Amino acid sequence: MDNFKKKFIEEATDLIEGLEKSLLVLEENPEDLPLIQQVFRVMHTLKGNSGMFGFDMIDSFTHEMETVYDLIRNGKLKATREILDVTLAAVDHLKVLLNEDNYSDPEVISNHKELLAKVALLIQIDSTSEKDAQADLKVEVNKDNEEKGENTYYIFFEPINEIFDNGTNPLYLIDEIHDLGQVEVFAHLNKVPSLSELNPEFCYTYWEVIIATNASINDISDVFIFVEDDSTIEIQEIADFNLLTDEIFVNDIKKLASIQNDIGLSSVQNLTKEAKSRRVKDKIKTFNKDRSTSKESSISSIRVSADKLDILMNLVSELVTTQARLSLFAEENNIPGLLPIAENVQKLSRQLRDTAFSIVLIPIENMLTRFQRLVRDLSNELGKEVVFITEGAETELDKTIIESLADPLMHILRNSLDHGIEDSDVRLAKGKPKQGRISLKAYYSGANVMIQISDDGAGIDPVMITEKAIAKGIISPDRKLTKRDILELVFLPGFSTARQVTDLSGRGVGMDVVKRKISDIRGEVEIESEFGHGTTITIKLPLTLSIIDGLLVKVEDTHFIIPLLVVDKIYAIEHEKIKKTFNNVVVLDGKQIPFFYIREEFDLNESQEKFEQVIVVNFEEKSVGLIVDHVIGEYQAVLKPLGKHYKNQDMISGATILGDGTVALVVDTNKIIKLFSKHEVFTIKEEEKPEKIIND
Amino acid sequence: MNQENLSKINSYLSFKLGDEEFAAHVGKVLNILELTKITEVPKAPIYMKGVINLRGTVLPVIDTRIKFGMSPTVYTTNTCIIVLDIDVDGESIYVGALVDAVHAVLEIDKNNILPPPSIGSKYKSEFIEGVANIDDKFIMILNMDAVFSTDEITNLKDKTEETEKTTNIEEIGS
Repeated sequence: MDNFKKKFIEEATDLIEGLEKSLLVLEENPEDLPLIQQVFRVMHTLKGNSGMFGFDMIDSFTHEMETVYDLIRNGKLKATREILDVTLAAVDHLKVLLNEDNYSDPEVISNHKELLAKVALLIQIDSTSEKDAQADLKVEVNKDNEEKGENTYYIFFEPINEIFDNGTNPLYLIDEIHDLGQVEVFAHLNKVPSLSELNPEFCYTYWEVIIATNASINDISDVFIFVEDDSTIEIQEIADFNLLTDEIFVNDIKKLASIQNDIGLSSVQNLTKEAKSRRVKDKIKTFNKDRSTSKESSISSIRVSADKLDILMNLVSELVTTQARLSLFAEENNIPGLLPIAENVQKLSRQLRDTAFSIVLIPIENMLTRFQRLVRDLSNELGKEVVFITEGAETELDKTIIESLADPLMHILRNSLDHGIEDSDVRLAKGKPKQGRISLKAYYSGANVMIQISDDGAGIDPVMITEKAIAKGIISPDRKLTKRDILELVFLPGFSTARQVTDLSGRGVGMDVVKRKISDIRGEVEIESEFGHGTTITIKLPLTLSIIDGLLVKVEDTHFIIPLLVVDKIYAIEHEKIKKTFNNVVVLDGKQIPFFYIREEFDLNESQEKFEQVIVVNFEEKSVGLIVDHVIGEYQAVLKPLGKHYKNQDMISGATILGDGTVALVVDTNKIIKLFSKHEVFTIKEEEKPEKIIND
Repeated sequence: MNQENLSKINSYLSFKLGDEEFAAHVGKVLNILELTKITEVPKAPIYMKGVINLRGTVLPVIDTRIKFGMSPTVYTTNTCIIVLDIDVDGESIYVGALVDAVHAVLEIDKNNILPPPSIGSKYKSEFIEGVANIDDKFIMILNMDAVFSTDEITNLKDKTEETEKTTNIEEIGS
């Protein structure tokens, strides 16, 4: 049972999340009927499921919400902002209710009651129309039922000529049939003889009736119970639906009746067959239509527990490691036929790796709903008008990264809303559009994903920041800082610029926490701000955390892996040339490229080799050379952590195990270049020069 | 085996650093490896020898001699890596300890373990669990968690020179 419950909670969480998303879209387009339908459906599903699993509070609550959305979808209510406000509050409440522990919490209970009252109020707003709606609903339901259970019968009724003798009027019988359902009656007079032969006391007429009814065949034959002994009566079910709604069928049968003396069962059956095939086609058509409209909302997917994914990723890592050993073994031992197999395994494991990766990558869209909600609620609360624009929602990131990213992003957005965007009148006075604008943009950049949050608000006042930093004793007053350094100050612990502490931000936990959290997932944060014009915060994240394509190189007898995505070009260079250079710059392909001699940086002896390799890597949109002894080749590196003992060696982002069982170190080129350049005499870029001095 | 059962066992692995003998509770020892190629991590503290491959995971290796204030380990055929499971803030971490030689597994009764001398000890007492006298030799039983936990990367000995002197004296005595 617990298992089912868990599943329910999981599903409900998804449903509620989807609901929230729909509601936010609905706010933009309150008339969007399919969307309202969707909201209604979610409420309905939640109601059903929660009742089944004993979440009574959710059950009763969603029942009320369902009623509201039923009214909306029937056009009795408008999806006003007020209703949406209550619904969004309700969504939050539902999330709380999913945790059964909360059921006894008095705060939750009072909240529950309050919301129920609010919802009840919504329904009452138009109580008359509500009744109408319910009445309408009932009629509809009746209609539905009729349609559902209807069958079509063919009745042939030819009374004996002497039927009038026992006082029976066959027309009454036909009338009675009429009462059973929808009928089409054909009276045939062709057996009426010429006047001279006609016996006025005889009945010459016979009937054919097509009836669509939910009465059973017995009910129909009951009508004829007193005449069945001496009349010819045939009752046949010809279809399990209402044939008489098919206009083509009715027309055809009428035509037939007018041409022929009688229609006959066989021709009716033929026509029925045609009608049936038409019906099937129609059904497919409507079904397709339904499908195509619902397609957007249902992505074909299955639910897999995160644990299983972790196991899968581990297995893939093991496989990649083993494959490396196989490749090495195949190369070393010249066994005929082994090499192609090893190559094939390499190819397959690469594909498997990529696929497994794509499984754990999820689009950042998954967390955007939360942000949209935040911006909406917060801007309401602060009385600011803000549009929130998202770009690149399809950008994918490792799920663990996304999980740890939500909080920092939330904080940044809060800051933008609270301190960034000014009040409407201030904005107007400044000549800015009344509505503030916050955008979240995500995009790929090499081996990284960039997430940029910018606002067109007040920006950061460098003077104020500096004053504050001095007041707090973070910097000494005589320090000369560049603009960039000043902005970096906000990332320091204990630095919160909010003039007054609000509920939203400025609680002392500030940007330093953001920075720390992001560096926990090997990301970096940068801030740019134009005072008076807005602030942009850029977060740079690694694409994934576990396997990378790398370039295997060797320095002395240590193997290093350089992530392939940052590698631009590789050149061979004479050792003499390196020794002779001034200012650590080499000219390659006519370009001046600053370089680092890895041996020197790692305190190793000079190489005795005549030639060494310059690996040109991208570093902050510039090219930097790293000089190593040898380049061995491409390598799929399964990243393994170095462990706590090496936590200070952050220029090595991990290690990987090579085919021969030895360990290679994975280099974080950004960190390594930053580290090297700190104690270098030259700087990569002139304008960064002052910063270098201050940084130290 | 859980921690409780482990602590009831009286077995200790003894190993040598130079001429001195130390012991670690077997519950802390996972494995004894022959010396393999250690990949050096640049810019790391000197006692951090590097990393090795321990059945698919990366194991940091510490030069125990440097940690104990001795000269760096000179690799011989006897040099071993003891894989230890140490406890850092409630988290279990594997660490390789480079030692000059592994000696034996000794059964030492709890009663034969004397508390570390509080005065005149050449070692910081928090690293020593006790001293055992086996065949007239004193063996230091080490608190591995304290010695190898990341925060406690300090020299074990207070005064290096003095130790060497005392070591010599001990040798003569035995």
